[in-house]
Amino acid sequence: VSSGFRAVQWNPAKLIYDGVLIAAVVLYIGTYLLLAYRLDPPKDEPAAIDLRIRAFGTCAFLMLTIILSIGPLARLDRRFLPLLYNRRHFGVLTFFVALLHASFMVEWFAVQNALPDLYAEFTRIADYGKFIGFPFKVLGLLALAILFLMAATSHDFWLAFLTPPLWKALHMALYVAYGLVVMHIALGIMQSDRNPLIPAMLAGGFACVTVLHLAAGWRERAGDRCNKLTGDGWLLVGPPLSIPDKGARIVAAPDGERIAVFRDGTQIGALSNLCAHQNGPIGEGRIIDGCVICPWHSYYYRLADGCAPPPYTEKLVTYRVRVARGVVEVDPRPLPHGTPAAIRYE
Amino acid sequence: MRRAHRSFHRLLWPVLALAVALGFTMALVLRPPPDTAAVTAQELKP
Repeated sequence: VSSGFRAVQWNPAKLIYDGVLIAAVVLYIGTYLLLAYRLDPPKDEPAAIDLRIRAFGTCAFLMLTIILSIGPLARLDRRFLPLLYNRRHFGVLTFFVALLHASFMVEWFAVQNALPDLYAEFTRIADYGKFIGFPFKVLGLLALAILFLMAATSHDFWLAFLTPPLWKALHMALYVAYGLVVMHIALGIMQSDRNPLIPAMLAGGFACVTVLHLAAGWRERAGDRCNKLTGDGWLLVGPPLSIPDKGARIVAAPDGERIAVFRDGTQIGALSNLCAHQNGPIGEGRIIDGCVICPWHSYYYRLADGCAPPPYTEKLVTYRVRVARGVVEVDPRPLPHGTPAAIRYE
Repeated sequence: MRRAHRSFHRLLWPVLALAVALGFTMALVLRPPPDTAAVTAQELKP
């Protein structure tokens, strides 16, 4: 939760996350280069640079694959939620790994005084009409530009400035970047190098991301179906004890938006299922000391009124709740942000 | 995620996945045979 501007709100969890991330990248690239030098030592400088291009390129592809898998994995199994916590730093690091991949490629041409050839690759218009022979470096450059845009706007300043819905929509361009990277490899190195590991890595990574998204999307679809309504238009949730203590049941309003109905002992309250920070699924969080904790980044809000406790200022939309004939009901018409609406039942 | 975001996500994903799967398959099938791959490698490298 934020109460003022700080460039990066470091905490032990973020430091550990970033430390593990950097160590994994160093380990991967170090192992790749070590094995390559042992198995087939490069004969000249361009060959040595080529190895670095491959090491950093495959690393960036694997990092992108993991980043895109984290979201659906966290939705399918809560044990993956810690991976989601600092995913933005993961993305920024991926950009820098990809940038190094691109800079080694420029260096490869530069050490052979062949930079005009590189320029020609980008400007031979006729090649843009081919499929095999398409200037695949352009695809990589476009993906790098998208990664730059993601990294540059990853800070909470941009999240607040653009608002979470627009920011999330903008960051979906990462899927486009992934598609461009797959085609960059498929039309580039996969055409010239017959190593079966290249198509295996591409197909495996892409299939993994696709299957995970399909599985998570299939599971999510059920949550969009509107709950039954009472005669006066309130949503039927169920008996109070059907809501887990210190947890929530998520119901869908007629407009498809989700409402998280929490129970804290004998207190019941309904909040928007969208965290004010990144639209995270508040209803998958837990209640500690009367506050609902978002599972994504631990932003917290009082169940009683949807307000973050002072000095924080975030507020959620709340909904009226009642218990009629032993069944919890929620009015799907939202109340203004931070309106006290929780009730106690006997 | 908002409803609109979920809907957009569900629309974008299959379209993108199909396009990339098709592109990847074509790139794999249309690869030059191994004997010409060495020549092409010089053109495409790195």
